[in-house]
Amino acid sequence: MAQGNTKTLKDAKKHIERRRRISVFLRYFVLILVGIIMLYPLIWMVGATFKNNSEIFTTLNPIPKEPTLQGYADAMKSYGGNINIWKAMLNTYSYVIPEVILTVVSSVLTAYGFGRFKFKGHDILFTLMMAMLFLPQVVLNVPQYLLYNKFGWVGSSWYPALIVPTAFATETYFIFMLIQFLRNIPKDMEEAAAIDGCNAFQTLIKIIVPMLMPAITSCALFKFMWSSNDFLGPLLYVNTPAKYPATIFVKLSMDSDTGFNWNRVLATSLISIIPNICVFFAAQNQFVEGISAGGVKG
Amino acid sequence: MKKKILTTVLASTMTAALLAGCGSSSTTSTGSADSTATAAATEAAASDTAATQSASADTGASYENCTLTMDWWGGDSRHEATQNAVNAFMEKYPGIDIEVNFGAWSDWETAKAAEYVSGNNPDVQQTNFDWIGKYDGSGDTYLDLNTVSDTLDLTQWSDTDLDLVKDVKGGIAGVPVAMTGRTFYWNKATFEQAGLEVPTTLEELEADGPIFQEKLGDNYYPLVVGEYDRAILMTYYLQAQYNEPIISEDGKLNFTQDQLQEGLGFIDRLEDEHVIPTEEYILGEGADSMDKSARFIDGEYAGIFEWDTAAGKYVSALGDSASDFVVGNVLDGLQSYSKVSLMFSISAKAEHPHEAAMLLQYLLNDPEGVTLMGTERGIPESKAAYDTLNEAGALDQMSVDAHNAVMDSNPLYWNPIFDDSSLKGDTAAYVDVFDNLSYGNYDEATAAQTLYNAYQAVCTQ
Repeated sequence: MAQGNTKTLKDAKKHIERRRRISVFLRYFVLILVGIIMLYPLIWMVGATFKNNSEIFTTLNPIPKEPTLQGYADAMKSYGGNINIWKAMLNTYSYVIPEVILTVVSSVLTAYGFGRFKFKGHDILFTLMMAMLFLPQVVLNVPQYLLYNKFGWVGSSWYPALIVPTAFATETYFIFMLIQFLRNIPKDMEEAAAIDGCNAFQTLIKIIVPMLMPAITSCALFKFMWSSNDFLGPLLYVNTPAKYPATIFVKLSMDSDTGFNWNRVLATSLISIIPNICVFFAAQNQFVEGISAGGVKG
Repeated sequence: MKKKILTTVLASTMTAALLAGCGSSSTTSTGSADSTATAAATEAAASDTAATQSASADTGASYENCTLTMDWWGGDSRHEATQNAVNAFMEKYPGIDIEVNFGAWSDWETAKAAEYVSGNNPDVQQTNFDWIGKYDGSGDTYLDLNTVSDTLDLTQWSDTDLDLVKDVKGGIAGVPVAMTGRTFYWNKATFEQAGLEVPTTLEELEADGPIFQEKLGDNYYPLVVGEYDRAILMTYYLQAQYNEPIISEDGKLNFTQDQLQEGLGFIDRLEDEHVIPTEEYILGEGADSMDKSARFIDGEYAGIFEWDTAAGKYVSALGDSASDFVVGNVLDGLQSYSKVSLMFSISAKAEHPHEAAMLLQYLLNDPEGVTLMGTERGIPESKAAYDTLNEAGALDQMSVDAHNAVMDSNPLYWNPIFDDSSLKGDTAAYVDVFDNLSYGNYDEATAAQTLYNAYQAVCTQ
């Protein structure tokens, strides 16, 4: 091991130890530096909730010079007793959770059908479904609005226009992801289950779903994030302030004509993303495994 | 085999549902839409408006018990004021229930457009001036307010105001809540630093540019204008030269390509004389409006060209140095225009137009309602409302000054075509022309050609 100008074993160990330290130092230095750069906007946002408007736009320093709690005090204000931040968050999750559950169930079922069974029209249907992946939501807005309006879903208090469509596997991306994941799972297990007397549905529940868990978690997390960040959907289909979700609530005070207090908007945003952050951290390990494993085999 | 059939059916129904734009369940019961939305209004009733409830039992107007829907966009204080006024109206006229909806401007029009397509628009609505052209092309979307003029006192508005808001059938599509136009605001302190008074004529402004550069340095400018501001400033300049509005009432472009080139030359000259910074310099800071610009807040940009209603956000952005922020007149050498800033309209499909008109009368003309509404939508155009607020001292002096600066400058007519999305949009003509002109990618002739073509595409020939 000792080589070059090192003469004794002690010297060699010292040399190796020093190199190890330098490399650890460099690695951590880069990681911490990049970490700070990535986290800086979030830290700044937290700091900005304690600043007033003129300070927000003139300094990059996240620590406020004249800290004020006005932003948080305003964030608690309700609009004519109709809606406040807590009610808005409750509204958000009252449709996000059903959406997540329905999306996961319908996507798993559809993916199982496409991934494990060969049937007439399989390829053409699959192609069509993939084509849907490229259809932007914007072009669907008006026809969907007209349709849901006919069903009487617009302005309904239990958000059917947002929830019901998710029961029909509308998230093509998830189906695609789950199918990719399914390909990595050997069919032997299902064959064994079939020999033991499982029917197709039992195989799905008892064999496939447990093995698909990481992928299912990613789907659920993605859907959770997308749904709770959705702004236009609730704006179109909810027309009572008392039923507004957090995304709309945060924007309620933002009037670009006359100006508004940014600290309030930032404080409301911060409060309303806390549950999302918690959910994400709780499911982080499964999530990372899910998105990376799905992409290994094409 | 059974399994195969089952899964085929399963997978294909899923896909079919997907293809059908996520619809499918036609069996779902319909019709529960309206019944659920009442919670909002009833809950709101108990707020702090008791003081304004009139003691005299004003039962002069007869009305039917009914439920009206109403919506508006805006910010916090507007939401609060309007809700209070609506609650006071409901207390004054028991039996009329009003369901309100409100939000911020962003994407608001997207949602409203969907409502117009499906005929879902509310009975009473805060509307934008250009919506007459966009959503009332047939003249059947908004109620002609002449039909309810016995309830809603239209004489509080001048005939010239009401002429502006006519639809294709000649009916009054909405009442103008306020008129607005642009004027200048100056940071007095910076001008004093340069040993100058704030300018009152275009000549003075142009002379101030080099003085700023010499005395204060390269990064000090007497005025800052973005792309859309430049389009308006150019319009003001050309209107002063030729004394006619840029786009006529019948939608014709009044200026030739050469005349537009003259206007663009004016903007170019301001840049060359250090009166306004280049677009490159402005965009380099990354502030999407001047109230978020550190250079403006620190006084390096000493003037802005803004709506008369916009002073509030700059005052709040300036913080401690707000006292240096003063309203200027529309400079001599420029010719302003004014436009309807907002309207209130009644849907032509409203089942109770009389009660809807009562609500508008209360909000816009009745002293009680007017006091509650305040100046949240600008300095009111209704004479009764203006007088009420003026007597009560409820008018913000700076807004009044700015408003008067515009209205005293004999503003010309303004056609909403000027704001067409193909001109005003984020990547549309104004941004294209004024950015490229400023960056030097277009010479004045090319810029004029581009701008002229863009106008020609939306104006009637």
